Amino acid sequence: MLPFISFIFTSSSAMMSRCSFSFLSSSSDVVPDDSEYECGDPHQTVADSGKGNNSGRSTLLKQRPTACPDHGNDTPRLMLKRIIRTQPQVSPLVPQISQHEAAEEAQPELPSKRPSSMGELQLPNLVPESTSVATFHMTKKRKKLSISEFERAADRRLPQNQAQSTLDNTILARSLRMSLGSLVLPDSVEKRGLLRRPKNHKPIDMEAFEGGVEQNMLNRKAENYLVDSPTASGIGTAMQTSDAEIMLSNTELFVQPQFEQNQNKLSALELQLSNSKTSAQRSEISAAQEEARPVGLVSSVGTNEGRTEEYSEKDLILDRVHVDRTTHVSPKPPANQQEDKQDHSQQSNPMEQLFDSEEVVVGAAEHLENTGYSEHLKKKLTEKAESQITTAQDARVETEMALSEDDGIAEGSVGHQGSPEAEHDITRDVEAESLGRHFHAISSPEKSGMKLLKAAVEQADEDQAVMAEWDDPEKEPTEDEAEDPESEEVSMKTPVFVHAAADKPVLSIPCSAKPAALKGATPCSAKPATPKGTTPRSAKCAAPKSPLQPLRAKPVRRKTSEAEVSSSLIKQIFSHYVKMPVARDAYKIVEKCSQRYFKQLSDDLEVYSSHAGRKTVEMADLEILMRRQGLVTDKMPLHVLIERYLPLEYRKLLIPVAVSGNKVIPCK
Amino acid sequence: MKRTAPRSTLRKIIKKHKPQLRLAANTDLLVHLNFLLFLHRLAEEARTNAFANKSKIIKPEHTIAAAKVILKKSRG
Repeated sequence: MLPFISFIFTSSSAMMSRCSFSFLSSSSDVVPDDSEYECGDPHQTVADSGKGNNSGRSTLLKQRPTACPDHGNDTPRLMLKRIIRTQPQVSPLVPQISQHEAAEEAQPELPSKRPSSMGELQLPNLVPESTSVATFHMTKKRKKLSISEFERAADRRLPQNQAQSTLDNTILARSLRMSLGSLVLPDSVEKRGLLRRPKNHKPIDMEAFEGGVEQNMLNRKAENYLVDSPTASGIGTAMQTSDAEIMLSNTELFVQPQFEQNQNKLSALELQLSNSKTSAQRSEISAAQEEARPVGLVSSVGTNEGRTEEYSEKDLILDRVHVDRTTHVSPKPPANQQEDKQDHSQQSNPMEQLFDSEEVVVGAAEHLENTGYSEHLKKKLTEKAESQITTAQDARVETEMALSEDDGIAEGSVGHQGSPEAEHDITRDVEAESLGRHFHAISSPEKSGMKLLKAAVEQADEDQAVMAEWDDPEKEPTEDEAEDPESEEVSMKTPVFVHAAADKPVLSIPCSAKPAALKGATPCSAKPATPKGTTPRSAKCAAPKSPLQPLRAKPVRRKTSEAEVSSSLIKQIFSHYVKMPVARDAYKIVEKCSQRYFKQLSDDLEVYSSHAGRKTVEMADLEILMRRQGLVTDKMPLHVLIERYLPLEYRKLLIPVAVSGNKVIPCK
Repeated sequence: MKRTAPRSTLRKIIKKHKPQLRLAANTDLLVHLNFLLFLHRLAEEARTNAFANKSKIIKPEHTIAAAKVILKKSRG
């Protein structure tokens, strides 16, 4: 019974069927118990002898009238047949009989077997499945009928099992309710288990979101630009807003025109790092201004990490709180300057010094932000901006004067010399002296007219030697272009340097700017253009371009004015063919060689085409040229060379290929 | 990786040297081919010179000597 019931449960998947099955099983639980008790024994005895079966089932048999069983002479086969026939009547599947009958109407006869006997357990196993299947169908469609049918079937058996039927009804009803209830519960429980937790969608707080975004941005920028990340993170909202303003207002990485003036001042400031409190004031001004602007420049300089200590010191200087620490900073720039002087020529010295000072200033600017003196600096920024603008303008004028001086205008030179002298008085000790030395050294050639030009040319050559990016210093026509980019570079470098200098007094800027200006001016002097024309042009050229662009401007210009094969291409091809490391100077020679080669080539082609009476160069002319050069021989036709050296696209254009349809590509 | 031939640049160079001279359709490709072969010969000569000097790198003097020879050769 129990296995039978379990079968019913397992075999059915639908609830309905389950209910019905449970109902059935429950009923079967009830009924079979009773029926089996009564009929089980006779069934069991049937296994021993067929007589018991007949006696127990004769009355229950409804479907097929059994022939008089001859128990004595029955073969086991016959006995089994009888059992099979009679099983449904006796087994606990009493309620199923009624359903089975109903199912039989719909479906063909199903073997009805009762699992009452031990020996027939196999059959009953099959039966429940089949019956379960049958009942499955049944129960799905006719749930209500099953009960009535069951009752009918139960009533039929009343004469036999009246007590049982009544009991069945009561017990069945009870069991049905229980089973149904039990069935319902698990499903509902299961469903509840499958239910997901309700999602709590918080309404998006726009303000909080935007605030968070801004915080993220500022934090990120602070990390990028500020040296001390913890300090950056610790900066208050005021600082952050100021940083945001500072950073957002100027997203340019490189110097802007407005900065140049400030840069000039700042460069001077940087040179006077070690100077006293008056210089500290000006440095504060310049530093504050630099902070506002060259936040972007910081990344360009990229010397943040190494300068944190210096920066911290500079911050203190700016706040006028720890003036003592300035001494630490001051020894550094003079040391740099001295080192530079020793190593390089006069021209390069101020440049390098400017660079160092720039970097230092930049670092100072960064650190200032780090320390969080935003509010204090803001005020200073406004003040310093104004002051710096004025001083920058002065510096500009001075630079112009310096440039004009180089062209040989005595008045300008006199005035130029006079102004630096005045500045010397103002400027501070070591740097001032060093600058003055440079100044005098550079100004001395200015006094001589013609010598100035030669010196400028020499200096220009020196510059070219120092700066590796320029080609062919021999070419005089390129000097015009060279001078302007040179001056641009110089002026560009000074702004960067100026940005770096945060602590320098304002007055030191013109002094430092002057040697730079002079240095830039000397190359310009080589070209006897109008002094004022060159100076504003150089100033203008310097303004829009970044420090990197001047390096690029010259080769770009050269290419447009005089077309040349790009040096990078020549380098690539030559190094590929030579398969060995090549010295950089060797590339220069290769470039010169190629230029001469092109000249020769054009001459030859002209000769060949004119010999053929044509004005245009054709393929035949080139082939003749190659033949004469020894590249094309009888053994080595031109097409083979084309195939070997040129990429496929060009080969397709040059070598006619015959394709189907009497076509030749390219068409001749 | 070799790049494409600077066709317009080559045309400009020739135009600069010989303004009255015209170029046919794809002749600048052959000019480029010529230029490549020239550089190839120059490179070989420079390599030979470096080997002759038992030097591991190409020095300017090697290239100068090589240029003299090859330019003479490619005069046509």
